Amino acid sequence: MQGTPTHLRRFLLASIVCMLGAAVLTYVVDPLQLFRASRLAFYSDDTRVQNAGLIRSQSFDTAFMGTSLAIHFRQSDIDRALGVHSIKLAMTGSNSRQQAFVLEQAIEAGARRVIWEMDDFIFVDAADIAADPYLSVDLYRRSAKGIASYLFSAAMAKESLFGLLRSVPPLREPLSRAAPYLPVKFALANVDDIYALPRDFDLARDYNANKTLASFAYITAPSRRRFLGEGYGYEAMVRHFEQDAVGLITRHRDVTFDIYFPPYSILQFVAMRDASPETLNIVMDLTAVIARRLTRLPNVRLHDFRAIKAVTHDFANYGDVIHHSPVVDAMVLKWLASGEYRVDPKKPTASLDELKAQVEAYRVER
Amino acid sequence: MLFNSYPFILLFLPAVLAGYFWLGRRSNLAPVIWLALASLTFYAIGNWQFVALLLLSIAFNYGVGHLLIVAKLAPGQRKAALAFGVAGDLLVLGIFKYAGFATENINALLGTHIAVHILLPVGISFYTFTQIAFLVDAWRGQVAAYALPHYALFVTYFPHLIAGPILHHKDMIPQFARKETKHPDAHLILCGIIIFAIGLFKKTCLADGIQPLVALAFEARSPSFDQAWLGALAYTFQLYFDFSGYSDMAIGISLMFGIFLPVNFNSPYKAASIVDFWRRWHMTLSQFLRDYLYIPLGGNRRGRVLRYVNLLITMLLGGLWHGAAWTFVVWGTLHGAYLCVNHAFNALVPDVPALLARPVRIAGAALTFLAVVIAWVFFRAESVAWALRILHAMADPSNIVLGREEIAALVMIAIYAALVWLAPNTQEVMGYDHGNRRVGEALRAGRMRPLALYAASLVLAFGILGIQSHSEFIYFRF
Repeated sequence: MQGTPTHLRRFLLASIVCMLGAAVLTYVVDPLQLFRASRLAFYSDDTRVQNAGLIRSQSFDTAFMGTSLAIHFRQSDIDRALGVHSIKLAMTGSNSRQQAFVLEQAIEAGARRVIWEMDDFIFVDAADIAADPYLSVDLYRRSAKGIASYLFSAAMAKESLFGLLRSVPPLREPLSRAAPYLPVKFALANVDDIYALPRDFDLARDYNANKTLASFAYITAPSRRRFLGEGYGYEAMVRHFEQDAVGLITRHRDVTFDIYFPPYSILQFVAMRDASPETLNIVMDLTAVIARRLTRLPNVRLHDFRAIKAVTHDFANYGDVIHHSPVVDAMVLKWLASGEYRVDPKKPTASLDELKAQVEAYRVER
Repeated sequence: MLFNSYPFILLFLPAVLAGYFWLGRRSNLAPVIWLALASLTFYAIGNWQFVALLLLSIAFNYGVGHLLIVAKLAPGQRKAALAFGVAGDLLVLGIFKYAGFATENINALLGTHIAVHILLPVGISFYTFTQIAFLVDAWRGQVAAYALPHYALFVTYFPHLIAGPILHHKDMIPQFARKETKHPDAHLILCGIIIFAIGLFKKTCLADGIQPLVALAFEARSPSFDQAWLGALAYTFQLYFDFSGYSDMAIGISLMFGIFLPVNFNSPYKAASIVDFWRRWHMTLSQFLRDYLYIPLGGNRRGRVLRYVNLLITMLLGGLWHGAAWTFVVWGTLHGAYLCVNHAFNALVPDVPALLARPVRIAGAALTFLAVVIAWVFFRAESVAWALRILHAMADPSNIVLGREEIAALVMIAIYAALVWLAPNTQEVMGYDHGNRRVGEALRAGRMRPLALYAASLVLAFGILGIQSHSEFIYFRF
């Protein structure tokens, strides 16, 4: 062996070579398809990262956006129901800053229509998009920092190595089958499966009245009811609505926006009514502002599904007080296609008034 | 500033090292002052509002220490000076760390609505304990007079300042005073980088890698049996790699300066009993609690019953040291109870025959690990009620999901378990001998294969590639 200074130099040089090697591997395999589309690509459920690659690699004319309430939709179902070529970009727990930013990228990449599942709570005050630790603006913009963070990443190198192994013909089949059960992120062979429930999913087990009522009891318990209003502040929410939603829509007059208020169970509002009435007031006032404002914009079609009693009062449709089952997903697409629950610009708060009456009248059976 | 950050690795550390050795050519004192100033800068980046508190704490303890070491005080006055010093330290710790907790409990008991909002100064538990030990030793007459720069560096030394290991003045200050440490030693720098690389890899790739699985148990409203177990195990391994990674990094960084820090971990999940576990987990804290709490309380010198009481008190306070919450009280008390059971078992049950030694050891290790995992649930949970909900799920095998996500988590847990139980620890790999100030003798003697060096470079590369923008150490909160 040679002297220690030589070891030290060799060690540091080898480390640099390893880092460069990992970067080259990620560039060649490109698991996110940030540089080039690939027939052998696999996809990840981590939509905040995955969307950056989808926008670059997919062809689409319609972008579908939302929170966890829109996460289980399948692109193929959207395409079939609405006669479009869509890209699903919904992100669980996302706020309006994140959604508007991602939609902006999708519009720049060619989306001429946006279908937007709009929750009131996306407008809560949160970090500005440039300082958001959960969404890499640089990755979406493909800035030098974004590219570097993608290429010089151990997690991506691991995915790339797995992707490389999976591309070897004898290993392709077994590794592809095993991928969903292994600790790798890019495990889905079909873009349609991103965050979609398996086709053989036992819906009755996860969506039933017992779970919905248990969830209602949980969120309205005295020790937890303060969480119902967490983050809700009328002024800030209206400001974010104007800035993120109206700002985006008015910047893109040539894009059609189909925006819908999702069909929460009636218990969502009843919980607020009973446990946090000030929060209910904020929600009602905010959605009235949204309805009035959006219906005046020529490139917006607003749909309100919150007062459809047959769905919202049937708790078998829900897994908790807000998340509805894929059966309701299909109904949402049908309603969007038919325009059955489109808000009339002359009476923008009619459905909201109906909802208010329902909330006031509803009595929970205990 | 975080060890696992690009500014630290690419700017701060090289600059401080270069300045330290450059000054070391000219003087023996200047590098000490440089390192103390660099440590204050390290602390100030991100914690600038608490720098004054840190400096005040150093001045206060150095002053009281001076009284105990140099001033010719009568025994009663010495005792009063010690009491004043320790009380001052505990008062500051109490105000910053426990005032909010005390107020919450008073509010709950009396129905009052007093609000106390005090930010917790980062590292306060570590630098307070370090200095309490100094004062007690000064009172015992076990401390020579130290120069202020050396003392200040001992308290602020940036590799340990924020999350340990808890240092002992007798171990550290003589090292700071040595001339040899001021000259670069390529062997120590190489070994230091390798140990740092192992720690960085543990943190960025292993601890941060398993962190998302913790949510399966701790962020779910009603986890199933398998989710609760997977989440609890994920946290068990996350904490291990997070904290031992930090300790390795601290040792590695310090070694580059020629300073040997004490070992803080010795494969604790391989422990065959709870007593053994506490000799292997956060070893410097265990030593502190033993020397400055358990033994002054009477240790095992006042009969069996008082020994158990002392153990319970020591571990309960050890729990509270980790955080001002009932979850930490329960965690500490649980470990105190475990230790009592362990000592009672040792006293009552005769030694097992040699033939049964191995199976008994394996059973002991499994039982110990199980007990530790259960205690970690309290350590991590938001509240005692939440912890009990998770433990209830862990005891209810009738509710199992075992879907795609759970199977992937199971595979990951198995990989981590194999690493924890089958891989050698960092000090074994590197031949780190803190007591004899030796490290990497195999490397120096050429007995280590070049392949090992390249493997280490891969570890460093992946450690750096694994750095994420939002990744803190769990022990920063303590």
